[in-house]
Amino acid sequence: MKKFSLIWSLLLASVWTSGAVAQVAVEMDGMEYETRADGTFLIGGPTYAFDRILGAGGIHSESELWTPAKLRNRLLFNRWSGTPSWTPFEPSVWVKTGNELGDLIYQDFITGEQRPDNRTPVLEGGFRTPSFMGLWATARLFQDDHFCSGAYGYRYKMVDGSFSHFGENWPMFSSAYAGLGYTNSLVNASVLAGEEYVWFYTETSRWIPAHYKPRVEARADIKNLSLTVAYEDIEYQNRLKSEKGSRKEVNGSVYYKCGKACQQGIFQISAGMAFRAVDDSGTVYTQLEGDRVAWPFMELRIQPLRRLRADVMFGVNERDWLVQDSIEYDAPAPENMGVIVGFKNISGSRLNPLADYREFYDGRVIELAADGQMNLIQGYVSYVDTLGNVALGGRGSYWAEYGAETFDVAGYTLEQATEGNIATRYGDVVRIHDWLKGVTGELWLNAWYQEMFMFTAMAGFEHIDGPVDNAEVTPAEFYTGFTGDWLLNRTFKISHSLRYRSDAKWNLRSKNPMVVKGDWVWDASFEQRFPKYGLSLTGTLLHVLADEVAETVNGGIDRIRFICQAKKTF
Amino acid sequence: MNKLIALVALCLAVLAFGQAPDSTTRLNVEDIAFSHAYVAIEGGEVYPFGDLVDAVDNAFYGGLDFRYSYWENVDGVVMFHYSYFKPRPSTVPYDGVHQAMGKLGLDWHFPLIRPVVVGGGFACNWTRADLDDGVDKNQIYMLPGGTLTDNETEFGWYARLNLALWNFENYRIGFNVMWEELWTLPKRSEMLYVGLYVERKLW
Repeated sequence: MKKFSLIWSLLLASVWTSGAVAQVAVEMDGMEYETRADGTFLIGGPTYAFDRILGAGGIHSESELWTPAKLRNRLLFNRWSGTPSWTPFEPSVWVKTGNELGDLIYQDFITGEQRPDNRTPVLEGGFRTPSFMGLWATARLFQDDHFCSGAYGYRYKMVDGSFSHFGENWPMFSSAYAGLGYTNSLVNASVLAGEEYVWFYTETSRWIPAHYKPRVEARADIKNLSLTVAYEDIEYQNRLKSEKGSRKEVNGSVYYKCGKACQQGIFQISAGMAFRAVDDSGTVYTQLEGDRVAWPFMELRIQPLRRLRADVMFGVNERDWLVQDSIEYDAPAPENMGVIVGFKNISGSRLNPLADYREFYDGRVIELAADGQMNLIQGYVSYVDTLGNVALGGRGSYWAEYGAETFDVAGYTLEQATEGNIATRYGDVVRIHDWLKGVTGELWLNAWYQEMFMFTAMAGFEHIDGPVDNAEVTPAEFYTGFTGDWLLNRTFKISHSLRYRSDAKWNLRSKNPMVVKGDWVWDASFEQRFPKYGLSLTGTLLHVLADEVAETVNGGIDRIRFICQAKKTF
Repeated sequence: MNKLIALVALCLAVLAFGQAPDSTTRLNVEDIAFSHAYVAIEGGEVYPFGDLVDAVDNAFYGGLDFRYSYWENVDGVVMFHYSYFKPRPSTVPYDGVHQAMGKLGLDWHFPLIRPVVVGGGFACNWTRADLDDGVDKNQIYMLPGGTLTDNETEFGWYARLNLALWNFENYRIGFNVMWEELWTLPKRSEMLYVGLYVERKLW
């Protein structure tokens, strides 16, 4: 049984976590997709990415889909994002800085008119005190100026001032918060307040500036109950069109998660409710139907047999419904081998039932919720075989989706500014009334030695049949990745990720589809560790080798960047 | 070229298996870290190389170094230096540039010849033009050096040779020779640092 559990954990870890995500430090919490190999990850900026895992099935990207795991993620326009994250850190003090490589410095004295574009930094600093009688304080300032080249000439004309806490790069987000918390064996609670500048990427391909002044978030975890409430006073503006508006929003969730005792039973039930309520005034660019949404949901796990389990998530309200369920069977297999056969289904009237319902663009109304429903089914088989310090694994799946959400373009326009135009579109979110079918295959090899080394090689392919050019993105057909992590003397860690993705294509954001060429990328992270003192010093190179191109229409350029961090935990 | 680098990176990843077993079975590295620490003042001259010779004059630099034991025969190093660079082209509309340099890396004591230490790591330079009062940054932005009217930062790497000339009880005097390459565009920026330091053992 012990061996069985080990294999099971290895299998899961290999496919969905350690095998796919290198241990290279990402530039900002919530941007783990930037070092992933196993799919199509097109970054527009720190607040927007098309992030689709190859084996996940369906044509949507992960951030489009609501799940209970995202209750504390941020809703940026209609997508769930881990950035900017307001999850308090562990007790520690830290600073981080970095820059896209390629500034001129003294080359500027001898360079003629062919100046390269300005490169921009990332900045972060913060602390969380150790708890005193359970009480602790925290503060954090974090801002990511990378990718700010996206529609820069247009964006900086839209807003008053520099629209950030620091500098004049008009970053995609700049956030600062401070607050207090209380932690004991039963309760973990915090109240944070701060000011934030965020750019939303919308269905019309515009970037919309949102100034949170203030944003207040309270969280409480009491045994198995989680409560979250945020108050947001958001100011919108477009100086080019002399527009101003505001949204006062309260959002949050109540969630009961199946606890330890509950997990021993055959029926394991979790349930909760997410909600939003808004009060708009002036010129705002989106609308929530009826100014409120409540989203009750329930999760159920049934494990009638040791080898068989079924998971169901079901949510419904007066406008939408969404079901996500799966059945998995651990097939009998020889020792040191694990085989899982599974079936997954996602059906619903909307992938994200908490998002706004309309976008407004120059007097036009863009419907963000399509009529009808989508159905996605996927069958899969995965296996892993361990031979000493080596594990071999694979996963194959077949999926079919009907009614996938997409965008029906009524026309393309050019938003003009004095120093930069951006390509925009209008139309409505609709469905692909046809079947999209995909076959996926992935293989990986893990090898490790004590705690010193962990090496993973992986490759995957996917073939999609059906009108995939009607989808927002035609994902990459092929990837391969190699990650190597080694820990020398338990105090120096080197992590690498070398990977390749084949071409991907934005079909609907511009008149001519935008092809994001396939490319090799290498990331590397070097970390000095001092476990005795809780100290770590990390230097990370991201996006080495690859061409520096924009991966999203009106998005920023994905450049080579270096980030260093010093952290002391208490 | 990219394929070659990719191949090297892959080899690096695979090379992990060729490493010797963890030496921590013999030594408790966690106790070695910070068991010794040293602080130094350092001063010297910086020499631009390559195309940069036409961009700036040689300049003096000075600052503080902090060295700490990390592994047996390996030290961690943190350096903070300052320099003031004067531009060579007369078209640059200011007298000089403030430059603050930070370096973080490792030093390796060559076991056979103790005074010889080689090291390397990451470098980070912050620069800002020394503008006269009342100068409008926007007016001169397009002139040579215009980008430095705002803060500019660039990262790179360095390699160094550290020669201890005199060792006293708690003091050491030595030479520090460093090669630095910043990842600038349109070309990389290379400079050579030659300095003298006086180091005091803290513990």
